[in-house]
Amino acid sequence: MAVFFRIGNTTFGGGDPTMAALRRELIDRKGWITQEDYGVAYALARITPGTNILAFCAAVGARILKLPGALAAVVAVTLPSAALAVLFTVGYESWRSNALVMAAIGGTAAAVAGMMFSTVWLLVRSQFKAINAIWRVAAFFGGAFFATWKLGITPVPIIAVAALAGFLWKEE
Amino acid sequence: MNVFLLYILLLKATMTSFSGLASLPMVRNDFVVERHLLADRQLNTAVVAGRTGPGPNGLYLVSVGYFVAGWPGAAAGLMAVMTPAFLILPLMYWVGARAGTPRVRGAIRAVILASAGLLLSASLPLARDAIAGPLPLAIVAVAFAVLSFTRIDSAWMILGAAALGVAVKLAR
Repeated sequence: MAVFFRIGNTTFGGGDPTMAALRRELIDRKGWITQEDYGVAYALARITPGTNILAFCAAVGARILKLPGALAAVVAVTLPSAALAVLFTVGYESWRSNALVMAAIGGTAAAVAGMMFSTVWLLVRSQFKAINAIWRVAAFFGGAFFATWKLGITPVPIIAVAALAGFLWKEE
Repeated sequence: MNVFLLYILLLKATMTSFSGLASLPMVRNDFVVERHLLADRQLNTAVVAGRTGPGPNGLYLVSVGYFVAGWPGAAAGLMAVMTPAFLILPLMYWVGARAGTPRVRGAIRAVILASAGLLLSASLPLARDAIAGPLPLAIVAVAFAVLSFTRIDSAWMILGAAALGVAVKLAR
């Protein structure tokens, strides 16, 4: 719970940066879940209604400690940030003009962007190592990127098509 | 407004969307257009507060709840944000029971790779916003390298980047 509390309430930028930071902690540092657990939770979170990061935390928390883990993870990620969101709502107009706060947020936003690119790299690398089939990796990774970046297709149909194609296209 | 009704309305918005801010059109329709419980300015403030703080972007619904019914409304918003997350648990169970078969494994790998493509697509606009000059660009590069090739805690990266942003601002 402490990991979800710390990462979930100190990472700015929304769900994807938080999932990237959690990957670092849960796989690399703690070893509580595998790269595959992470990937499956990440993918299923994209097709679960609501806020992706909370579904992701529920899935990973359940993987570690069953239902109590899911509950603890979701509450730990959400509750303090929710209280802060209300406080920000009340006081937003007054601190938006504070240059130092905005400078700090600007620095963290850049670090978070680097963290997200690192997560992409590590996800792709792990799958390439597992199947060693560059065309398959390029097709699913590149295809999904092209579909959403260039064609503006939403994640749900992309995930659905990838799952179907991956099921039908037998791995060597 | 009745807090339970508020919860139901916010839950309707979260259950029919697949990312933090995708619920915004439905929230605006219910609370601004149909019921006149919020002004557009308040909805904008709620979104900004939700995006500025740490945690998921979907937390703007907590601010919406707060605007409508004070702290009990914020609690209703929090519950509406958290509830759909647990739908992932039966989904995980279903996938987990079939993960051993080659075709399902192929589908899972395809979904993981597609998710990496989606994450890259989500990262680029964030990076574009964050890279406002040479310093943020350097922070992005350093964060990518450190988080991809070392085991240093990401929290240190975030704190270091925030401190650097403040230090550079003070130096100017």
